[in-house]
Amino acid sequence: MNQNPRNRLLSATELDGFAAELDAVRARTIATLGQRDADYIRGIVKAVRYTEIGGRVLLFASLPMAFAGLFWATWIAGVLMLALSKILENMELGHNVIHGQYDWMNDPHLNGKTYEWDIAGTSASWRKTHNFQHHTYTNVRGMDDDIGYGLLRIFPEQRWRPFFLLQPFIAVVFALLFEWGVAIQDLKLGRWWAGKTSNAQMRKAFKPVGKKMLRQVLKDYVVFPLLAGPFFLAVLAGNVVANLLRNLWTFTIIFCGHFTADAETFPKESIRNESRGHWYQRQLRGSSNLAGGRLLNVMSGNLSHQIEHHFYPDIPANRYAEMAPEVKAICARYGQHYNTGSLPRQFGQVIWRILRHAWPSRPPRVSAAFQAQAG
Amino acid sequence: MNALVQPPIQRPRNRLKRLVQPLVVPQVFDFWASKVNRIWSWDRPLARITARKGESADAVTLWLQPNRHWEGFQPGQHLNVSAQIDGVRVTRSYSLTHASTTDGRLAITVKGVEGGKLSRYLCERARIGDVLEIGQAFGEMTLPPSPQGNWLFLAAGSGITPLLSMTRALAAQGMPVPLTLVYWAKTRDELCFVDELKKLASDHANFSVHFALTRETAVGDEATGRLSEALVQTLVDDLSSRQVFACGPGGFVDTARALLSSTAKSFHAEAFSPPPRAVEDSGNVQVVLAASGRTLTLPRGKSLLTALEAEGFKPASGCRMGICNTCACGKSSGVTRHLHTGELFHEPASALKLCISSASTDLVLDL
Repeated sequence: MNQNPRNRLLSATELDGFAAELDAVRARTIATLGQRDADYIRGIVKAVRYTEIGGRVLLFASLPMAFAGLFWATWIAGVLMLALSKILENMELGHNVIHGQYDWMNDPHLNGKTYEWDIAGTSASWRKTHNFQHHTYTNVRGMDDDIGYGLLRIFPEQRWRPFFLLQPFIAVVFALLFEWGVAIQDLKLGRWWAGKTSNAQMRKAFKPVGKKMLRQVLKDYVVFPLLAGPFFLAVLAGNVVANLLRNLWTFTIIFCGHFTADAETFPKESIRNESRGHWYQRQLRGSSNLAGGRLLNVMSGNLSHQIEHHFYPDIPANRYAEMAPEVKAICARYGQHYNTGSLPRQFGQVIWRILRHAWPSRPPRVSAAFQAQAG
Repeated sequence: MNALVQPPIQRPRNRLKRLVQPLVVPQVFDFWASKVNRIWSWDRPLARITARKGESADAVTLWLQPNRHWEGFQPGQHLNVSAQIDGVRVTRSYSLTHASTTDGRLAITVKGVEGGKLSRYLCERARIGDVLEIGQAFGEMTLPPSPQGNWLFLAAGSGITPLLSMTRALAAQGMPVPLTLVYWAKTRDELCFVDELKKLASDHANFSVHFALTRETAVGDEATGRLSEALVQTLVDDLSSRQVFACGPGGFVDTARALLSSTAKSFHAEAFSPPPRAVEDSGNVQVVLAASGRTLTLPRGKSLLTALEAEGFKPASGCRMGICNTCACGKSSGVTRHLHTGELFHEPASALKLCISSASTDLVLDL
């Protein structure tokens, strides 16, 4: 275990105090939820709708604009606007709504259990792999599938196989096709391949997944291009590129959340009889923030506040920025490292991990400290 | 009626809509449709407030123009009305107070309840032109297609609203059957529709109305006192031939049932109760699982998830600590306690986390 020396060892009493203070931040925020938050998320819905229609109209208009010599300018603007729409929808709207962050509004259109987002993966499988597995067992090896998504070796604690030598290349393909990777994550194709899942079980599990995939393919790569008639190819290509851009961006943000240099993983034993304070501490040690401004907050679905998100996954994400200074101060008071840095710095560390751990590597000498606390 | 009652079940859509359905994302459709007309929606019944009229010191009648998803109603039925208040969509049930109108408009009469979120909002803040979300009409206490015999309506407080709707419907048919209405309120100020009811009584020989006050001295032909055998005997003749409809708070309806269900020819009642004030933390509650049609007795003070599992009912669940939202389900009535904060939640909710909530009163869950 790569126990970070910057984290002070906390006694059970201190851990309880740590939890109580973090719970108090939560209670204070929940008490003030209201019109402002409802207006915020409806504003995001509005931005998603207008940028989507704007992007699609620009793509449709790119060929006629060619007569004015503006094909590329219009097409690129259309692609960027559509990618922006999809990024906002997936991150600030979909991801946060599916967490149930806005359930208190009782708005059936913003309900975490029924919201379906504009991405290849179903909301249903996301609720399981992300809301439950990833958020409950964050960075616990063997329980949080998000550690390398079963495809990449990010931490030295993962067993090395020669296959991982290819991972610098695989990581690029995975980033480009990220939405498809997320879509099939819960199918656990590896188990099926190894014969542990029967064909019949796989067919049953694939049915809703395949249906959602087909819907997305038909929408972006058949219906909208056909609607454009003679401009079929321009629209098809535009939609492909917009989806790729969204994939690259979401990959970048999500990998920065848990795979930076100081992010830690944990053994299964660490969650046995875990106290609330210990749970908070594990979330903190496994997560990293991105220091940026309001633009980065919105564009990352406020995953720039990954730590706050993991502490309070069901609190509206538009509140994380306000909560961050308090959270940071509490962490400082308890001598706990609050992992944050600029996007280039954090992503640089992620790239380094992908490159480094493609090769055999060994965890630093095991410190008994974390285990001692876990017990 | 202004407590929240179980929402009605959605009926299937028409064939053309079912065909187009896979291509339409309702929230995207609603977003753009509402830009054209605020009550247009893919599948949600919505209504615009077209008029408002004060009825008494603290009651107002709102006239609503519904969209095409509204499927009509019978006099005596109720509907759920929702409005957004401080960012939260609040829903309550109200009775429809007018018989069917030719232009398809509906009316609800809302009494501003002390501390009542939606009733206060509708009485004080809702304006003409505002859009409310509505549910389909529901309720079993309706008139037969061709009424026969001798009728008696007993109303207390807001219980007047469904009975008024039926009285108006009968009056519109020329009052084909003899009808007596007895209407209780605490004080004279709280009586609604007095002039209209008196006029109906003078227009129709078949119809008589009596007003009774429980906390103010009677004047003229008013009666004093709560519902009792003696009072009913003095106001209503020929009790044994009467078909009785009673509507009011739980206690009123219970008394009416005890007095009349065996003596009258027939007896139908609907009760509403204000939210309970005192909340206990020990003992058991009745939890209705609406979707599976079961009722379980569960202990208070224990998480609903573990309590349900102990009864052999296994809802979907995940983290068991209130973060993953897997066990969240709708709650249409009852009070729950948040196990971490100790806070009480009286409001109906679309997502109640079973793992960190315990029952404080009887509940209705969408499980």
